[in-house]
Amino acid sequence: MPHATVMDHGAPAASQSTEDAPPGKLAAPSGPAVARRALFGFGALAAAWSSAKSVAAPPRVPADIEPNSLLVRLVSRLTMGLTTEEHALANALGYQGYLEYHLNHTAIPDTALDTMLADQVRFSTLTMTYEQLLQVAAGQAANECIEAAIFRNVYSKRQFFERMVEFWSDHFNIDIAGERTSRLKPIDDRDVIRPNALGNFRTLLHASAHSPALLFYLNNDISVAGNPNENYARELLELHTMGADGGYSQQDVAEVARCFTGWTIWRDASGAAAGTFRYNQNVHDTGQKTVLGNVIPARSAAAGIQDGLDVLNILLDHPSTARYVSKKLCGWLLGRATPQATVDAVAGVYTTSGGDIKAMIREALRPNNLAAAEMKFKRPWHLFVNCMRVVPTTITNTSQLRSRLITAGQPRFGWPTPDGYPDHVDYWVGNVMPRWNFGADLMNSNQPIGGISVNTTGYFAGLTTAPQVVGRVSDALEGGEMPQGERTLLENYLQPTPTSVTQQREVLGLAMSSPSFQWY
Amino acid sequence: MTGSHQTEAARGCTEYAELSRRGFLAASGLAAAAVAAPAWLPRIAFAKDYRSSMRDVIISIYLRGASDGLTMCVPYGDNAYYSLRPTLAIARPDSSATDKATDLDGFFGLPPAMLPLLPAYQAQRLAIVHACGSTDASRSHFDAQRFMEVGKADDPTLLTGWLGRHIANIPPLNPSAVLRGVGLSTGLARTLVGAPDTLPIANLSGFNLAGAQTSRTARRMVIDNMYNGTLDPLKAAGLTTLQTIDTLANISFSTYQPSGGANYGTSAFGSSMKSVAALLKAQVGVEAVAIDVNGWDTHTNQGNISGTMAALMASIAQVLAAFDTDLTSGPTQPSYIAVVMSEFGRRAAENGSAGTDHGHGNCMLVLGSAVQGGRVVSQWPGLAPGQLYEGLDLDVTIDYRDVLAEICAQRLGAPDLSVIFPDYAPTFRNIVA
Repeated sequence: MPHATVMDHGAPAASQSTEDAPPGKLAAPSGPAVARRALFGFGALAAAWSSAKSVAAPPRVPADIEPNSLLVRLVSRLTMGLTTEEHALANALGYQGYLEYHLNHTAIPDTALDTMLADQVRFSTLTMTYEQLLQVAAGQAANECIEAAIFRNVYSKRQFFERMVEFWSDHFNIDIAGERTSRLKPIDDRDVIRPNALGNFRTLLHASAHSPALLFYLNNDISVAGNPNENYARELLELHTMGADGGYSQQDVAEVARCFTGWTIWRDASGAAAGTFRYNQNVHDTGQKTVLGNVIPARSAAAGIQDGLDVLNILLDHPSTARYVSKKLCGWLLGRATPQATVDAVAGVYTTSGGDIKAMIREALRPNNLAAAEMKFKRPWHLFVNCMRVVPTTITNTSQLRSRLITAGQPRFGWPTPDGYPDHVDYWVGNVMPRWNFGADLMNSNQPIGGISVNTTGYFAGLTTAPQVVGRVSDALEGGEMPQGERTLLENYLQPTPTSVTQQREVLGLAMSSPSFQWY
Repeated sequence: MTGSHQTEAARGCTEYAELSRRGFLAASGLAAAAVAAPAWLPRIAFAKDYRSSMRDVIISIYLRGASDGLTMCVPYGDNAYYSLRPTLAIARPDSSATDKATDLDGFFGLPPAMLPLLPAYQAQRLAIVHACGSTDASRSHFDAQRFMEVGKADDPTLLTGWLGRHIANIPPLNPSAVLRGVGLSTGLARTLVGAPDTLPIANLSGFNLAGAQTSRTARRMVIDNMYNGTLDPLKAAGLTTLQTIDTLANISFSTYQPSGGANYGTSAFGSSMKSVAALLKAQVGVEAVAIDVNGWDTHTNQGNISGTMAALMASIAQVLAAFDTDLTSGPTQPSYIAVVMSEFGRRAAENGSAGTDHGHGNCMLVLGSAVQGGRVVSQWPGLAPGQLYEGLDLDVTIDYRDVLAEICAQRLGAPDLSVIFPDYAPTFRNIVA
């Protein structure tokens, strides 16, 4: 039976039948794909206060989702936007094969991107030390870091890796604006986030705790014995590990802050190691501390760095951390309404695997979990990158693109507070005008977004009727799943001459503005 | 009937005509445009009964990051303040220091950076509520902001904002309004979530569809129909956005001239508030505005007299003063109330980094024509060791909901405060008339 294909088979490797059924067998005239699209959105938000305390629960896709829809969804969740190429790959590899392909990201050849990033004129700072960065113009390192992120997200074949870089960039958020962080965040991106994005959470947390950018951003660089600064200690507990309701007290925050006194940065003028991590034993609080009931013994100043390391391990072993990190990861991959049982299962994998991020992802992305997940609303960064991935886009300058991202609300590495960009629809949904206008301007033949050009020559080759053209758009942007209502409107727009290049480009822009394209 | 609603509807697009229903009602119930209206005013006319409802427009201003209320309104009469803040305290009004507090009531004073608001205080249009705030004990920015904005402590299931529910629970101030609430931001603040006809619009000018002029109307109709065919919240966002194009297109924000010589300065907050003034004077039916001011998390180098904190205070003081001047001068004077709040205050004692860590009690500012101002409303708990919350912070003796609930009930026409602040029985403090 076709619908058996999304049953949960236990071990992910055993779910090979998921992708084998030909999609055509399952498609019904008003089949699941249409039903899925009809479920977009929430109940009436404004009325929600009276009937319940919260907004309506997001809709769920029926568990009898057809295989192509499930694959389209998997591709959409693992990438910065489905492309026909990724869709074909997923069809060839099947659900589990495609997931493993992206989890094994280092095996994916990425030569086109590598060539772009090897441009020493455009990207001269990506490998520099902090000291070297001090010798280049203010803002250059940040600009190149952001520009590299744009190129990676648009052009990399390692799409899921980039998705996870984005996730951890929010989890360990550092605002790149500011004189020091403009040079330190690029290093954090290179040395902390990217090497560990699909690695181990324990390694990642330890790396972040040693990150000069983070220590500076959260003021730990000036936290000293007798007068500790609580900023990093609190966010370490609240945002990086246990969660605000994880069961720690103000006293725990204060004690953690004492443990991390002396975790700082070699200052700019200090010589060879400027801008790198420093444990300054001279300002470390050597007294005994108690963190979450664990006694951290009094230690000599020279051995005092162990206090912080102990704290990190206490936090990493804490069940609240397993729950909090798993819930957040499930929110990223599946949505905010992920059932508690799924979160618990991922938390179990966190514990048994010792923080193996890939193992947690495999558990979260079991086919049944994804089939039952709510639709997620694309954030502006996601949407813009998505647009540039579905049409042949050449980027020669990113300044206007970055300006558009600011208008839409999501400049890369630009969220000011340590909680990272929100990932829920009610925050983003109202600001649709910049979203619509990005698609419209991207597809405008006059190329009003300086530095970004789109070539649609041949995009609609051989297609002469409006349904054919719109069918191509649906395939390219939504894996063939654009709802019929939207398709009809776009077909009507193409009258009377479906081969008008201007109108074809405008239809692409309109499709990028369509309700269905805002979700993934 | 003027404006582009008619133009669009006349194109025979039935879906659009339905969507324009409210637009039609907007125009049909209105008097002819005043011939003497300034050029920046919308070409549609005003409802004659607009002011008769006696409801204020609320401007909810959130200082993100936890502002230091002990600096914004200095309790110079409490000696403990000076021992807690050896380097960050603002000197007493009778001090010989150059930079010192200006007395307000014999106990509290304004720091130099806040002095632009002294005239409004003296004119009894500004009230300060002190030792006030949320009782959330987390000292977490994000939990504290969230629970404060939803209007209920420790309830993770409540997702809509206090102001959003208020707007959803009352009929529109102007029945023809297409835009009832606006956040001057790129994402909607939790405060406004749940409000119908509400959008985040960071920049009110130039709000229109991009692309070729020749195809704009046709493309707009496609978008209109596509969004009409989807579900909320995206449907509401899309349709409200399209309707708002015409509303905002009729207001010339770029040429707007403030009244009374008001000078908003050059900050982003100033630009936003200047646009809000133009929006309110246009009287298109906006009844709630939310604006954030970021940067108050002063763990280091707080800079009370000059520096980070001083610059932030100077900016909001100048802008609020300008806004008050602007809206109380000239021919059009929309009735407004502005309230300034933050998630919590800062630690009573300064830290070793010339800054302050997360605290508890704070102060709120309430500004507007109906405010019973010229007062610092407070049940001062004291800053001596035995008086501090958890031994660390200024205590909260007035719940922030008391202030907001009174505003909602007395100035915003709220019929039922339990919708806005569930499970809370507010105590009014006679802050507004």
